[in-house]
Amino acid sequence: MTSLAPAPSTTDAVRVTGIGKRFPGVIANHDISFTIPAGTIHAIVGENGAGKSTLMKILYGVQKPDEGSIEVQGEKVSFSTPSDAIARGIGMVFQHFQLADNLTVLENVVLGAEKLHGIGGDARAKIEEISSQYGFGLDPDELVETLGVGERQRVEILKVLYRGARIVILDEPTAVLVPQEVDALFDNLRELKAEGHTLIFISHKLDEVLKIADDITVIRRGTTVDTVKPADVTSRKLAELMVGSELPSPSTEESTVTDRVELEVRGLEVVDAAGRPVLSDIDLTIHRGEVLGIAGVEGNGQTELVEAIVGMLHPSAGTMRLGDQDISSWHTRKRRENGIGFIPEDRHRHGLLLEAPLWENRILGHQTRPPSVKGGWLNRRGAREDTERIISQYDVRTPGPDTTAGALSGGNQQKFIVGREMSSEPVLLIASHPTRGVDVGAQAQIWDHIREARRNGLAVLLISADLDELIGLSDTIEVILRGRLVGTFDPQTVTPQDLGSAMTGAGEEK
Amino acid sequence: MNPAKRIGLAVAAPVLAFAIAGIFASALLAVTGNDVAGFWDTMLTWPENRQLVNILNQTGILYLSGLAAAIGFRMNLFNIGVEGQYRIGTFVAAVVAGEAWLPGKANTLLAIVLAMVAGALWAGIAGLLRVTRGVSEVISTIMLNSIAGLLVGYLVAKVGVTTGVSTGTKTIPEESWVGGIQIFGDTPTELYGLVLLAIVAGVAFHVMLNNTTFGFNLRATGRSESAAVAAGVDVKRMVVTSMLLSGAVAGLIGMPVLFGQAHNYGTSFQLGIGFAGIAVALLGRNHPVGIALGALVFSFLAEQGNVLNILVGVSPDIVAVTQGIILLAVVIAYEFVRRYRLRLEQSSVAEQVAGPATEEAKA
Amino acid sequence: MRRFSKIAAVALVASLTLAGCGNDDNSSGSDSAEGCKGASGDGPKVGLAYDVGGRGDRSFNDSAWEGMQKAIDDLGATCTEAKAAAGENDTQREERLRTLAEQGFDPVVAIGFIYSPAAAKVAAEFPDTHFSVIDGYSQFLVGEKPLDNLVDLTFAEEQGSYLVGVAAALTTKAKHVGFVGGTHGDLIKKFEAGYEAGVKSVDPSIKIEVKYLTEDPNDGKVGFENPSGGKLAAEGQLDKGADVIYHAAGKSGNGVFEAVEAAGDGIWAIGVDSDQYQTAPAGQKEHILTSMLKRIDTAVFEYVKAVGDGQAPSGNVTYDLAGDGVGYSTSGGFVDDIKDQIDAAAEKIKSGEVKVPTAPAN
Repeated sequence: MTSLAPAPSTTDAVRVTGIGKRFPGVIANHDISFTIPAGTIHAIVGENGAGKSTLMKILYGVQKPDEGSIEVQGEKVSFSTPSDAIARGIGMVFQHFQLADNLTVLENVVLGAEKLHGIGGDARAKIEEISSQYGFGLDPDELVETLGVGERQRVEILKVLYRGARIVILDEPTAVLVPQEVDALFDNLRELKAEGHTLIFISHKLDEVLKIADDITVIRRGTTVDTVKPADVTSRKLAELMVGSELPSPSTEESTVTDRVELEVRGLEVVDAAGRPVLSDIDLTIHRGEVLGIAGVEGNGQTELVEAIVGMLHPSAGTMRLGDQDISSWHTRKRRENGIGFIPEDRHRHGLLLEAPLWENRILGHQTRPPSVKGGWLNRRGAREDTERIISQYDVRTPGPDTTAGALSGGNQQKFIVGREMSSEPVLLIASHPTRGVDVGAQAQIWDHIREARRNGLAVLLISADLDELIGLSDTIEVILRGRLVGTFDPQTVTPQDLGSAMTGAGEEK
Repeated sequence: MNPAKRIGLAVAAPVLAFAIAGIFASALLAVTGNDVAGFWDTMLTWPENRQLVNILNQTGILYLSGLAAAIGFRMNLFNIGVEGQYRIGTFVAAVVAGEAWLPGKANTLLAIVLAMVAGALWAGIAGLLRVTRGVSEVISTIMLNSIAGLLVGYLVAKVGVTTGVSTGTKTIPEESWVGGIQIFGDTPTELYGLVLLAIVAGVAFHVMLNNTTFGFNLRATGRSESAAVAAGVDVKRMVVTSMLLSGAVAGLIGMPVLFGQAHNYGTSFQLGIGFAGIAVALLGRNHPVGIALGALVFSFLAEQGNVLNILVGVSPDIVAVTQGIILLAVVIAYEFVRRYRLRLEQSSVAEQVAGPATEEAKA
Repeated sequence: MRRFSKIAAVALVASLTLAGCGNDDNSSGSDSAEGCKGASGDGPKVGLAYDVGGRGDRSFNDSAWEGMQKAIDDLGATCTEAKAAAGENDTQREERLRTLAEQGFDPVVAIGFIYSPAAAKVAAEFPDTHFSVIDGYSQFLVGEKPLDNLVDLTFAEEQGSYLVGVAAALTTKAKHVGFVGGTHGDLIKKFEAGYEAGVKSVDPSIKIEVKYLTEDPNDGKVGFENPSGGKLAAEGQLDKGADVIYHAAGKSGNGVFEAVEAAGDGIWAIGVDSDQYQTAPAGQKEHILTSMLKRIDTAVFEYVKAVGDGQAPSGNVTYDLAGDGVGYSTSGGFVDDIKDQIDAAAEKIKSGEVKVPTAPAN
């Protein structure tokens, strides 16, 4: 925490000290602290799930922090609703635009803020003034549905400014933009800064952040890691900060890799709804006893790769073999029955029935296999007993198998899922971010379980954003970038820096 | 959570709901200038035996309708089309039984089976549209309801026999009727024999839901479709199958009256049971026993509505509004209790792991 | 999403089950607003069982109430009213009649043919109480032996419809008329059949548009409580060139009147059941050529009176032209110039020279 606590100053637009926020079962933020001087662009970076969005919701008054304090322009504040934040001059531009297509720019802007300048001439004058001041080039009478993405975003920003915001939070503003639009946006942002606005810019695109920000605060695992100046860091260094390299590494043991191929993927291609490839020419081989790690910045095709192997989405080309069987045309259930275990990236969406008791969750994904099922009939007792076994063997902290899954903490939910997926003795385990959002203790336990399974001959596909985890667990690391595998590394020799440059494509340029 | 607390919570919701509904209904009666005391006096009077029989009959019919809706609801499939499936099923059974291709009770059995098949197929259309073309089942079933009404109306006019100003299907031969059961000695009304179908269907629903893989997949899909997909549930097939099942049960709704009282499909055919079934399923939380209680409450109110209308002068519309209030109150009360229960459970889990969790947080 | 859809479902169900509750229109005149409560005579104690909607529909049910009102005034009758809830079955209708009989009401008047099966059953249970069903067909349901205490009060709607058909034919300039029916059931077909015959009797070349609001005979809601549907149907016929439209669609007919009023001068509508000129808003009055009168009031009054006199009819009583049970209205004076021709047609029916069909030609 290098940049903590400079002397309190009224020139600081925002000062956040020791913010913590817990949800049932998850600690989203803890001990978040940073300071944003007025009239600067401050970037907040971190991987998905690092706690950025919770932090933003707290700053914008959507959620109340459990602990810590926020000061705005040197005054301590406590927001209960976004309107409290707006009253303090804080505005937010959401990643997903909140505009009514069938209304004009003017109507969209005044909607909900009719009291400020009415809905007529005054409002129009104000909008035109803001638009020309910052070079937005928006016509108040144009219908929003006719606008492009970049223009819509400017309408969103205009909305915020119209309501008098001096501090503007932009949530992943470049996610929806093409490069030219990004440049235009940055010009607008610089104009805003020149006029004395303070901008909080949330992103995980490091090169952009380095281009625009005055200061960069890095968040990892729910807490602030560091605040740095762009001049002092490289994109590689930033990536390291984001994914962590100073945590105790999971120590690699001697290789258990055999020469029997368990999973073989050839020429896999997946296209999205619009027909654009999100995965192309993927060739993968995982042997028994081998952990293959996939490194990559999120959104480069990892999710699709996992879903294609599990059978949740249909590839447009390629073959997959499990052992000596061609599983390309198999349905998810058959793949799972034949020994694919699956620890999903999003355990709430894909791993658990949150409203169901643990023993029913034990059956999930194993609807056709003992001990919980016998020929189409549920074996409640079998499922219960096996749930008890998982609870004790995997150290799931819960009152018992009747507890609903949603009541457990994230770490315990994850341990339960790992236990469940291991219980049917899989031959291939797909572990997607197996320790994300999990506390440190549970993380170590999960790592141990994966290692033990590997010793017993399990093939593991490990996807992680945590480079230490990848390096510590994998026998081989493949880097994925824009839907392609772009490099193979040996974890024994690779450094996080090497991986970082491969992941961001910096290696390509050389 | 200990068992006493569990039961307490389970009872809390309905009690709360009926208290709310009672207060609102009384207020409504008072505002509309009705006799509130008379209303409660009549409501709380134990019905006569013949009325009890009516209530049980209607409960059975509504129960079947509620079950049909609940099968879909359990997997978040909003089969609003129970009404149409019920009409199609009843009509098919009436025609088949009226034609009497088979003798006696074989005729009855055939008609009942075909009613289920017809209801299932009608519902299956919506299921297929949903999985192949992505058409929301809410929209398609509402449209199919309308089509069912028109189709059946047209066919009745085509093949029916006219009595006075009423056209209906041919009367079913007496040997294929299913007689009533006198449960209270001498009453002019009897329990429809086929109302017992409701019990069979209820038990089957319960077993299917709680003891079979299919039921598990159904519930899993309802709770989280994404998790079900990841677990290897073929959601498309589940959608079609549960629509078929739902429609098959909907096809049964008309059987007790058809074989026990009306003996043909005609102008005095009861409308709206399919919609009432949706309400009953919601009231009963899609639970086999809950639906039965919900059906009982609705039937009781409908039966008392008559007496209220004649003796106290309360319009049946007010009774219908009361049903609506109960429904809303139940849904709201259950949501409150559900949240309370979740919070309670979370705090109990937190207690269990209190020490380590907070330390980890600080680590 | 799940919560949301649940709430949406509740709202949907609530709207489906509660729809139709807001239709009470108590503007049927101050004299009847109190209903039975004002009556305190020592004449017959009448139990009235309405179908869905009940008193206040300005049409069918109100017409029955007018007869009851007359019985209260002239015979010192007292009464109680009961009305149906939406989506009933025969059991519930039986129970309504049974409760009325049990409470000592005699006679019990069931308004609407839908009560026929229920009345047939309950009349057998209460041999000392008199039951009647307006438009009923209960006589076909009681088995071999008719019940002495049960009567269907039916009407020769085709005869009245014939007369307004003659009026329509004599009024149309376009040689093109229309008919809007509620549900496509046997009862309303009688209206169509008579109207068609009446029109053709004047000029076989006149074109007749026929539209039923629903083909589903069970769907009274879309058929008879659907003014917007009625308006749409009438507009369609006007677009095709019809200039006189007769409706037999209960409350939906109000939509027909609206469409005709909007179409302007020279376009006419013909009312049904009661003299609708009397209850229509001022602007519509100018377009209501005449109304086919179905004297349910007469039937109810005469029946109550007969029961009071100890001469209750049984089986079937048909109210026809000869007995003034059906007819046409002259309010507004729009048919004054053709009255002779209409009356001549009426004479032919009464004498039996013309036999009006009860089912449409096709």
